[in-house]
Amino acid sequence: MKNKQKTMPVLEINNLNVEYKTLTDRIVAVKDISLKVGRKEALGIIGESGCGKSTLTYAIVDYLPKNGSRSGEVIFMGENLLEKSPKEMESYRGNRIAMVYQNPYSSLNPSLTIGFQLEEVTMFHQKFSRSKAREAAIETLTDLYMGDAAGIIERYPHQISGGMQQRVCIAMALLCKPDLMILDEPTTALDVTTEAVILDIIGELKEKYNMSLIYISHDIGVVNKVADRIAVMYRGEVVETSSQEAIFNDPLHPYTRALISCMPRAGVVKETVRLNTIPGYVTRRSAAETGCPFVPRCDKKRPGCEDRYGFTERKSGHFTACDRAYAEDVPERPVQIKKKEVKLPDNGPAPEHRTILQLDKIYRYFGPPGKRIRAVDGVDLTLDRNSVLGVVGESGCGKSTIGNTVGGLLRPTSGKIIFDGTDISVSWRKRSPETLREIQLIFQNPGRSLNPSFTLEAIIGRPMKKLLGINSGEERKKRIVDILKKVDLGEEYLYRRPRQLSGGEMQRAAVARAFSISPNLLICDEPTSALDASVQASVLNLLVDLQKESGASYIFISHDLNVINYLSDMIMVMYLGRICEYGEKHEVVGSPCHPYTEALLSAVPDVDPSIKKEAIRLEGSPPDPTIKIKGCPFAGRCHRKVGTVCDTTPPPKVDFSETHFSYCHIKPAKIEKKVMQAGEVMRTQEI
Amino acid sequence: MNIFLLQLKKSPRAIIGLSVLLLWVFIAFAGPSMTTRSYTHMDMEYQMAAPGEGGHTLGTDALGRDVLSRIVYGSRSILTIALMTSLFSSIAGIIIGFTAGYFGGLVDTIFLRIMDILMAIPPLVLAMVILGILGNSTILSLTIIVSIAYTPATARVARGALLTCASNEYVDAARIRGESHFYIMFIEILPNTIGPVLVEITARFAYSIMMIASLGFLGVGLQPPTPDWGMMVIENKSIIRTAPWTVLYPSLSIASLVIAISLFSDFISKVMIHEE
Repeated sequence: MKNKQKTMPVLEINNLNVEYKTLTDRIVAVKDISLKVGRKEALGIIGESGCGKSTLTYAIVDYLPKNGSRSGEVIFMGENLLEKSPKEMESYRGNRIAMVYQNPYSSLNPSLTIGFQLEEVTMFHQKFSRSKAREAAIETLTDLYMGDAAGIIERYPHQISGGMQQRVCIAMALLCKPDLMILDEPTTALDVTTEAVILDIIGELKEKYNMSLIYISHDIGVVNKVADRIAVMYRGEVVETSSQEAIFNDPLHPYTRALISCMPRAGVVKETVRLNTIPGYVTRRSAAETGCPFVPRCDKKRPGCEDRYGFTERKSGHFTACDRAYAEDVPERPVQIKKKEVKLPDNGPAPEHRTILQLDKIYRYFGPPGKRIRAVDGVDLTLDRNSVLGVVGESGCGKSTIGNTVGGLLRPTSGKIIFDGTDISVSWRKRSPETLREIQLIFQNPGRSLNPSFTLEAIIGRPMKKLLGINSGEERKKRIVDILKKVDLGEEYLYRRPRQLSGGEMQRAAVARAFSISPNLLICDEPTSALDASVQASVLNLLVDLQKESGASYIFISHDLNVINYLSDMIMVMYLGRICEYGEKHEVVGSPCHPYTEALLSAVPDVDPSIKKEAIRLEGSPPDPTIKIKGCPFAGRCHRKVGTVCDTTPPPKVDFSETHFSYCHIKPAKIEKKVMQAGEVMRTQEI
Repeated sequence: MNIFLLQLKKSPRAIIGLSVLLLWVFIAFAGPSMTTRSYTHMDMEYQMAAPGEGGHTLGTDALGRDVLSRIVYGSRSILTIALMTSLFSSIAGIIIGFTAGYFGGLVDTIFLRIMDILMAIPPLVLAMVILGILGNSTILSLTIIVSIAYTPATARVARGALLTCASNEYVDAARIRGESHFYIMFIEILPNTIGPVLVEITARFAYSIMMIASLGFLGVGLQPPTPDWGMMVIENKSIIRTAPWTVLYPSLSIASLVIAISLFSDFISKVMIHEE
């Protein structure tokens, strides 16, 4: 019996189908999925949004919405869960199968203490007494490296940081020592350094608790860190499963290949590589559809693909649904661009004309004195014409505030913004129409930045009328069509409204609006973080093309170092409203000189599983921004802290080259020695 | 619009509501030319005649006036005033609520406090006091006063709707292209608040009818001889035992109109607000 338990998979899914009934149609969310998860095995599931990843997990634990129905087999430890009554399922959910979801804040009840919510779990499932449940809760929290576990269970969810909240959610899942833990994008809402710590812990706990994992994410890099095997889902079907190395090194399905090659990653930069894109977007699947789900977007399709579908083992342990596209050919690598001759800067304009934007000691505070949040705390910066500055940092570091201040939505509390020779440290109301035209913003969420009441013609035409003074409707229309074509939207989009567009199309329309009046400086505030990987690539490509063509400068704000690395010429790393490090891309990424940059680089999840980096585990969370910090803002979490000097004196500016500097107490000579592993990796991976 | 009709088809309550409302609108328009009797004519032979007696379909009151003609004529004034009131109070409410919400800060505080003071007085009492001072009520004065009484409520709804929309980045996009406040408020934001605003207008419509009927009942509504549903109820209060139809039919008219509008208004709110 014991032997049998060992060899038996913890979870076996056979031909699982899930359908949703809507008023007009039946939608297939999961189609014919068969998967196995062995004891202590971690299965990663990747795919874009709308591919049925979450639905699959809901189907496993019988947690579908009312209009969902399922068929097939879900065998958990030898028992078919589909035959269990809702009452019987209660003894599985949260007990033997535990779940952790994306947003910890909405998973925890804000009006109950953390202790109470943790105790509830074991009291219900294991019939523990409250005191015993409390002990178990503290013990589990300690397993998750929560220092002051006894103190934390007295607190309410809002009193701890997002990363801590997610740890509490994981603790909750672990309390009953489940056989299977399902994690649905548990780190997507978290900062990258926090994410790295949590992924680390998850891996450790898998061993310790002897459990199996299903880890869902849209990010291959994240899945790589925890999963042994990876399943790629597309439109409700598993199109490929294999070990994580094989998925990256030898993908067999066109979708997997396309997905991997459209992700910006270590060593992929705009100068040498053009990102692959997948035309179109993920659509719903109706019940009538058969055959390969990827056909409409596949560039390797052949006649007959529409009717074929077979999930077969192509290599040992490597299953794929596509048996045609790569019968013979060798795996391909992303398109490489030939390196162009580097232009000599001497021919450029004189230095004083080279700069387009200069920030001089910009401060921006929010809130009343005494409780003021120092969003931007003294930032100096110069931006050259025709260059892209990437601003990277975790949430709350002030990167968006910088963007909004330059863009005119906010006025700096003090400091000067010089744009093209004129002082524009005022809000939009006091700026000249010329300045308003020259600085444009692209926002994160195109669904919110395009007015849903207007057609694209009105949305793009309005700035032309207002700031270029083109009053003739005919003339405007002609220009709008031109710009729409540039962003790969045809004339037929002229009279569409935002809600009739997909997320990627909306963002391209937003880019069209910004470029319709030929700006000189474009501020992109996380323009691709709300988009799927395949769509993100097309928007990034578009931004690169338009930048080259127009010669405009960008301030590109993102939390994603891979995206920043791909798109920027210069990189600025921010922490708590201050600059940590600034320099040319290869300098910052190649030889980071600030411990925070180093930590960020080490935390970035890699698409390529062969990249092994030294993990730097940053403990704690950024300090309260309302408290004035005397020394270095990063001192409290720094893994290379020099001593008390870090807490008491602001770090000095250290120059490493004409363009590269950082603010740190570590002696420059020492930094040179410690040129860090993460950077090495980024460099050696360059193609 | 198509979706609107499709949804309407599926909602029998909304169809009933809309039909009754349209019926009353039709009566108000065409009714007076179809009734044979004047609403002031006193039929001395048939005082307090029961429905059907002497050709009086719904009977007569103590003075021998035809109840049906009075209801038909009364529907005109009540519908006109209610419609105007809901429109005026919505427009005023949108302007005040938008201004307060858009500029925020001190402007918001001042506007809100004024609205709070107005809201602290029950609308009916407020209207009564003003009408009592003015004396002779006309359609115009009633419209203005009921509109004022309802403006604070609509202003709050409009302010809330604006605040939900104003956090969208298309507002920021409009700002940094140098649009005027007026443009941002009424061209960029207003179309996106149409849902809650329409719901408010229809709901206000029903409230207005009740208010006007109540004012009539309290004797400060339209003055005789103009027929007014609320007034008809109070006039005939003393003969309610001997001639109940004189009170019953005007009351039923008020009830049917208010319920019809409410049913339709519920439907609007379901379609406009919960659509997505």
